[in-house]
Amino acid sequence: MSRAHRIRAEAVAAWHSFLRRRTAVFFTFFFPVILVVIFGALVRTQPTDGGLFAEPAAYYIPGYLATVVLFTPLSRVGSEIARHRDDNRFEKLATTPLSRAEWLFAHTVVNVLIIGVASLLILGLVLLLTDATVPLTGSLALLVPFIILAVILFCGFGALLGRLADSQDGVIAASNTIALPLLFLSDTFITLEQLPSWFGPLVELSPLTYFARGVRAVTYGPAAGDSYLVELGILTLLAVGFFVAGAYAIPRTD
Amino acid sequence: MNEVVVAEGVRKAYGETVALDGVDLAVGHGEVFGLIGPNGAGKTTLIRALTGTTPVDGEIQIRGQRPTAVDSDRIGLLPQSFAPPARLTARELLDYYGGLYDSARETDAVLSDVGLTEAADSWYETLSGGQQRRVCVGIALVNDPEILFLDEPTTGIDPAGRRALWSLLESLADGGTTIFLTSHSMAEVERLSDRVGLLQAGQLVAVGTPLELIDAHGGASRLVLETDESKRAAAALTTEGFAATASPQEVVVDGVSPIDIGDAVTVLSTAGVGYDSLTWTEPSLEDVYLQLTGETFEGAMTPGASVVTEASQTDATEEPDAAVVASGEGHQ
Repeated sequence: MSRAHRIRAEAVAAWHSFLRRRTAVFFTFFFPVILVVIFGALVRTQPTDGGLFAEPAAYYIPGYLATVVLFTPLSRVGSEIARHRDDNRFEKLATTPLSRAEWLFAHTVVNVLIIGVASLLILGLVLLLTDATVPLTGSLALLVPFIILAVILFCGFGALLGRLADSQDGVIAASNTIALPLLFLSDTFITLEQLPSWFGPLVELSPLTYFARGVRAVTYGPAAGDSYLVELGILTLLAVGFFVAGAYAIPRTD
Repeated sequence: MNEVVVAEGVRKAYGETVALDGVDLAVGHGEVFGLIGPNGAGKTTLIRALTGTTPVDGEIQIRGQRPTAVDSDRIGLLPQSFAPPARLTARELLDYYGGLYDSARETDAVLSDVGLTEAADSWYETLSGGQQRRVCVGIALVNDPEILFLDEPTTGIDPAGRRALWSLLESLADGGTTIFLTSHSMAEVERLSDRVGLLQAGQLVAVGTPLELIDAHGGASRLVLETDESKRAAAALTTEGFAATASPQEVVVDGVSPIDIGDAVTVLSTAGVGYDSLTWTEPSLEDVYLQLTGETFEGAMTPGASVVTEASQTDATEEPDAAVVASGEGHQ
C-alpha cells in the first residue's frame, strides 16, 4: 500500500509538471501529427512505384507509432533525470522511502499515459487521412501491451541516457542522435529489402525492430498471417532488462 | 549525551581534492549543531556523508545505524541549492513530498509553520526567492523528522522570514528534534546552535558552545572610535593604559569592559580629541570564524577594525553585540 502511495505521489507530481509545460505538451503531440500529415497525407504511399513509402499505408503504422514510443520516453526521462540532478532532487529523494525503481516506474506510468493518448491520435489520423485500414481482430488488443512494453523499454533507455549525459542539452542531443537512426533502421519506414544485405543483422539488434514487427503483425499483418508472439516475448525481455538497468542507473548519490 | 549522530574518521576525496579529512563528530538527541566554515571547506560534503547520499571512508552512525539503513521517515534533509518541480504549487509540493512517506504532517500545518498559507496555491516558480526557500524548508519538515539536516536553510530569505524560520527551528528543537545545520550567517548559527563546529579544509578545527568558542578564540571586547584625529586619540588612550591601535579614520581599543567606557571618554575629552562615534563591541562568533580561518576582509587596516566594520555591513539581520554609545560632536 505504501509503495503504491509513493508511486502515486511521484506520478501525480510528474503528470502535473508535464501538463503545465505547454510547449512540451504541444510538441509531444504535434510531432507525430505532422509526421502523419506529411508522409501519410501529403507524400502518400505509392505501392507500385518502388522506393520509399512503396508499401500500403497501413504498413507504416508501426513507424508512426514509433515516433512517440521512441522519442518521447528517451527525451522526457533523460531530461527529467538531468533536471533532477541539476536541482539536487535526487539527493533529497535518496533520504525518502522512494526507491529508484519506484521513481522510474512512476515516470514510466506517466509516459504510458501520454504516449497512449498520442498513439490513439496517430491511429485516428492515419485512418482518417490515409487509405489505411486496420482489421478488427482479437489480436489487435495486443497493440496495448506492445506500446506499454516499448514505453517501459525506452524509459529505461532514457534513464541510462540521463545518467550518462551531463546536462539536459546533452540528453536531448544524445536521444536525437540515437533515436533518429533507430526510427528509420528498425523495419519501420524502410523495408529490409531496401537496405544492403549486410545491414540486415544490425536491424535485428535494434529493440525498436521487435516493436515495429509486432505492431505490424497485429495491425497490418493479420491479412498476411504474420506472427507476433516471438516479438512480444523479445520485447518483454528487453523491457525488463532496460527497466532494471535504467533503475539501477538513476543517480541517487554523487 | 545521548548521541544520535556520530562520525569517526570520516574522509572523502574527489580525485586529489580532499573534501573531508578525518572528521570526528557527535551530536546529541535534541541538540542543534551548527556547522560553519568557508566556501569549499566541506560542509555540504559532510551533510551528504551524514545523510548517506555520498559514500565516504570512516564510520558514521545515525541512531546507531549506517545512514543508508536508517528509517527514512526519521530523517529530514534540505540539500544545498535544492529546487523542487517549478510548476507545482507550494501545497502540491508538500503533498507530493509528504506522499513519499508512510506518514506525513498535515500540509496546511506545514504551510502555516513556514509562513506560506497565503501563497499556498502559487506555482513554485512564481514565488519570491525567500518564499521558495521556505517551501524547501517545509519539504524538509513534511515528514516530521526526528533528525533534521539543513544545508544553508535561510539563504535568500528576507530578514522577517529568516526570523520566523529561526523561531520555527527553535520550537522544533524545544520539541526534541535534533538539528544539524550549516550557514554562512554567524548570527543565525550563534542564535540557534547549542554547539558549533568550524570546518576548514575538510577538518573540524573547533567544536564547542558559541560562548566557549568566543571565550577561546573571539578575542577581547573592544571600543571603536571613528575620528579624523586617530593618531592623537590612540596616543592619549595608550598613555592611560588602553591598548589602542590607530588607522586613518579609526581607533580600535581592545579589552575594554563596559565600565571602562567612561574612563576612555574622559581621556579623549581631556586630550581634546573629537570623534564622530564610539562603538563598543563584544566578540562574536564571527570573530571566532575570522580568527580560526585566518580570513580578513579586503581593505581592512587592522584586523580588529575590519571585523567590526564588516560585521555591520555583511548582513542587515546580523546582530553583532555592538552599541553606539556616544557621539563625539559635543567633545570638539
